[in-house]
Amino acid sequence: MREAYIVTSLRTPGCRRGKGALAQTRPEDLLKTVIEAVMEKTPNLDKKDVEDLMIGCSFPEAQQGLNIGRIIAQMAGFPDSTCGATVNRFCSSGLEAISLQAMRIKSGWCDVAIGGGIESMSIVPMGGNMPRPHPKMAKENPDVYVSMGITAENVANRYNVTREMQDEFAYHSQMKAANAKKNGLYKELVPTPASRFVEKDGQWEEQTFVQDFDDGIREVTTIEGLGKLRPVFAANGSVTAGNSSQTTDGAAATLIVSEEALKKYNLEPIAKVKTYTVAGCRADEMGVGPAYAIPKVLDMAGLKVEDIGIFEVNEAFASQAIYCMQQLGLYDDKSLWTADSDKRIVNVNGGAIALGHPLGCTGAKLCAQLINEMKERGVKYGVESMCIGGGMGAAAVFELV
Amino acid sequence: MQRRIAKAAVVGSGIMGGGIAALLASAGIKTLLLDIVPFDLSDEEKKDPKARNRIVEKGLDDAIKSKPPLFMDKKSDPALVTTGNLEDDIDKLADVDWIVEVVVENVKIKQDLFKKIDKVRKKGTVISSNTSGIPLKEMSQDLSDDMKKHFLGTHFFNPVRYMHLLEIIPGPDTSRDVLQFMADFCEKYLGKGIVWAKDTPNFIGNRIGIQGMGKAMHAMLEHGLTIPEVDAIFGQPMGRPKTATFKTADMVGLDTMYHVAKNCYDMCPEDEMRDTMALPEFVEKMVNNNMLGNKTKGGFYKKEITPEWKTIRKVINPETLDYEEYGKVDFSCLAEAKKKASLPEKMQTIVYADDKAGKYAWDVMATSLIYAANRIPEISDTIVDIDNAMKWGYNFEMGPFEAWEAIGVKKSVEKMEKEGRTVPEKIKKFLDGGNETFYKIEGGKKYFYDFASGSYKLVPVSEKQISLYNLRQENKVVKTSGSCSLIDLGDGVFDIEFHSKMNAVNREMIEFMIEAHQYVAENGVGVVVGNQASGMPAPFSAGGDLGFMLGLAKEGKFSEIDDFIKTVHQSILASKYAPYPVVAAPFGLALGGGCEICLSADRVVANADLFMGLVEVGAGLVPGGAGMMHLWQNYIKYKPQIAKITDYGGFFVQAFMQVAQAKVSGSAAEARNAGFLRPADRIVFNKDLLIGEAKKEVLKMVDDCYAPPRKEKFPVFGREGQGMIWSEMLNMKSGGYITPHMETIAKRACYCLAGGDVPAGTPVAEDYLLKLEREAFVDLWRTEQTQQMAEHMMKTGKPLFL
Repeated sequence: MREAYIVTSLRTPGCRRGKGALAQTRPEDLLKTVIEAVMEKTPNLDKKDVEDLMIGCSFPEAQQGLNIGRIIAQMAGFPDSTCGATVNRFCSSGLEAISLQAMRIKSGWCDVAIGGGIESMSIVPMGGNMPRPHPKMAKENPDVYVSMGITAENVANRYNVTREMQDEFAYHSQMKAANAKKNGLYKELVPTPASRFVEKDGQWEEQTFVQDFDDGIREVTTIEGLGKLRPVFAANGSVTAGNSSQTTDGAAATLIVSEEALKKYNLEPIAKVKTYTVAGCRADEMGVGPAYAIPKVLDMAGLKVEDIGIFEVNEAFASQAIYCMQQLGLYDDKSLWTADSDKRIVNVNGGAIALGHPLGCTGAKLCAQLINEMKERGVKYGVESMCIGGGMGAAAVFELV
Repeated sequence: MQRRIAKAAVVGSGIMGGGIAALLASAGIKTLLLDIVPFDLSDEEKKDPKARNRIVEKGLDDAIKSKPPLFMDKKSDPALVTTGNLEDDIDKLADVDWIVEVVVENVKIKQDLFKKIDKVRKKGTVISSNTSGIPLKEMSQDLSDDMKKHFLGTHFFNPVRYMHLLEIIPGPDTSRDVLQFMADFCEKYLGKGIVWAKDTPNFIGNRIGIQGMGKAMHAMLEHGLTIPEVDAIFGQPMGRPKTATFKTADMVGLDTMYHVAKNCYDMCPEDEMRDTMALPEFVEKMVNNNMLGNKTKGGFYKKEITPEWKTIRKVINPETLDYEEYGKVDFSCLAEAKKKASLPEKMQTIVYADDKAGKYAWDVMATSLIYAANRIPEISDTIVDIDNAMKWGYNFEMGPFEAWEAIGVKKSVEKMEKEGRTVPEKIKKFLDGGNETFYKIEGGKKYFYDFASGSYKLVPVSEKQISLYNLRQENKVVKTSGSCSLIDLGDGVFDIEFHSKMNAVNREMIEFMIEAHQYVAENGVGVVVGNQASGMPAPFSAGGDLGFMLGLAKEGKFSEIDDFIKTVHQSILASKYAPYPVVAAPFGLALGGGCEICLSADRVVANADLFMGLVEVGAGLVPGGAGMMHLWQNYIKYKPQIAKITDYGGFFVQAFMQVAQAKVSGSAAEARNAGFLRPADRIVFNKDLLIGEAKKEVLKMVDDCYAPPRKEKFPVFGREGQGMIWSEMLNMKSGGYITPHMETIAKRACYCLAGGDVPAGTPVAEDYLLKLEREAFVDLWRTEQTQQMAEHMMKTGKPLFL
């Protein structure tokens, strides 16, 4: 089989749903910004050379509907010959899109493609605008429709992940992100034009600006402060707004090419997409998915946990992230993930608790973060993984070139 | 010039100012709220408009956050209030039609303020002071002639939204026009009960009220009673609010009460009961120690919470000023009074009793009655204004003269004289004239005894007011049963009046309503469903008669429950499809069955203070009077004019939540937001005018060529509703937010509201939905849990979640 090379991998900032900087910017515009940036940062490659765009999206409807993959190819000025598709596997959608493109390249069906993700949670609500669970299924086996917060509570309860552990983990996520933001470590971040509508002297005016940072990071967070928050999903629960991922708007994209294309266009690769897999689990504790997917994907790659230099494990909730890390042997040694440790290898620049989890975009976003950090640190192998609503985990191994 | 209050200003943003602004905004009037610039600003802050408005912003914020709510629609009403300060924004007063002054009770400050206002106000703007004690003449003496002509006292009571009383005090030079205009405006637009007061210290309510409080406190010490004992006596058994004497003081604030008392003491040197205005020493000590009542979380009473989260109620010991636990109060006269049906009987039982409580009650009562009589004509010319002031401002069920009548004027005067109390001459003259009651009804009109002329005079009421009580006396009752009557309102309009306990809907009422409609079909042009129950909040109808159905359920007579609900539906539909308009006139509590009766009416003319909701789940049931069906019809027919099938999900969840969470509106505005009231339904601010307005509405609908609603099929959300709610139920259950039986009830309610398992958008007939409702209702009664929940609700008034 051929190799699939990542040449460029970028993301917009992640900004808070509703109140954040990107809340009034259309999802297509966010996606357009990041795809154009990928093309600009890839010298020698022309838009006409890109065969296909696959865009991950968890709620591909309304403003994100009508096959945003093809629409964005047209909006971003690709020629008619460049195709587009929308991909949905909920929270791994972005990674699914990248992997699908990688597989097409590996199989020899394609040479140059873009995989990405988009989610404007401000504009298309989580659950969609018109959720209609199947009545019979909802009566007989509603677990597949269960709220994500409840699954996080279930993980916490079933596997004894305490409130204290979750809050501590959340605190470190914030601190790692605060550090990265302060020191400009997010090299993959594209300053993104955005707009908001304000009323001024009785007129509505569109104000445009450039957003160049993740606005959900809370530098001032303390463990005590986190401890005061009330549980949001269960009366006597432990999952709070502080130790859950933030709902966020964002887009990300990655250019993947074959070895032939590397030579033809004289491109410089960063990493290879080595393996990707999904693994199923119980829907009512979907957060444990990575605990199955990561060993599976490592096995496929012939690697062990110890071989991996950086993990990006999506922090949908602290409870499930902690459990998965425990299963991989990455939790008990806190120096592997705390903000004050130089040895940290898990979510080194913070995770979704601080940076947000723009559902369908997350897979593509974490890829951009991981590839950038692998390059910065010269790490050979990196793993990206996340849990998926409905009861799944996805994981991929990337190898630095 | 056409007078109108389109814009108003409230100067002073304390509890009263904030409350008045909230009421004005709730009535849809643009309101400017002003207060002073804080004294303690730094040089930097002095330039900052935000800092300069800090006091007024805090005042508005407190009003918005206040509980019970002062704004009727917290979401949209506050936007009508703009804020400012007296230095930068005083010019804005030139734009308003009415300025209410509610600043600190200090003559000098008020005089200065009025002089400033005099310079900026436009001619014709009405100015009123909400002072509770400072004479108007002192405040207005140096003002321009135009301002004097437009200057009056408007004394609101706290909390402004909920207290019906407004004392209007003419100033020395106020024009008659202005007074009449303001009285009409405040009655109709703000819903207040107007009492005309004279420019005497503390006016009427607080003058009589503070004497009563002072006497109750002094007498408590003399008679050797405790605070909880006094509150047990002078609470509901005597027709006073539950909070009685001391709990009321805690609510009002001891400092406010003390201030009112001291003002009276200082300014009424001739008052024969001046000594009682000097409150007992222990009260003064409490004020000095900042033990001011609820606002300092400790007054005469204090709630303490143990480490186990148990609430312990304590009361102050007047001797030691320590808080002590207290038990239940036990007096034989109170136990006897409890057995009596009517308030006059209860009061007689207590004040003529020989035990400690009886003697105390008599002493306080006799003193207060004599005091009230002596205040005529000093503070008011009529007994009507005094009685109304106490009913509307202090929530007494009877004013002093009504109460006097209730315990027997002659009998009580004999006792007073025997004890050597000085009975006022005017009372003796009244009795000597062979009179027995202060009020009487003749020809449907109420008359009061006028001491000045020694004759009965007509009680002045607004033409829009209809008194069902008076109509009863005038033999306008066409039909009656134990819990419901049909009263002729004139012009072919008939009123269905409930008069069961809490106006709960029972079988008799349901059957009566069917008969009433048969009568009106033959003899009338339309129906008002309305009553004039009193209370805080008063019950238009507090729900269905649980006891009746519980009895049937316990005996296993489920087919009788089924038959009963069939009759309920028959009655509801008889009203809905009657060939003449039916207008419901709810106020206060309109819960469960009471709400359902309103939902089936052609139009609702609601009082602004309306606590409406389908609360049946709290008693283990689903609504049984077509409430869910009609709520759903309101959503799809009226909320948005055109609802598409894609919109149903949103509507369905909202309607379902109303039922499943037993939501109750906090006002008619909220009931409208929740979809209980429709766009054409009206909101009337003054409860006293409600029946009159409802009758007017019936006649207007008749005049507009009324046609009954068409009986047609309408679309339901069907199985899609089941899918949405059942999947969400898992989250509720997993989160520990819903108990097993509540989940059963909620799912059953979902089934009824969605119209069963049909595809979304299926048009169904009403009979089909009513059948689903009836089956759900009966099935739930079959369960032990529902029976337990209903029983618990009956006993405690609170839901038991099983």
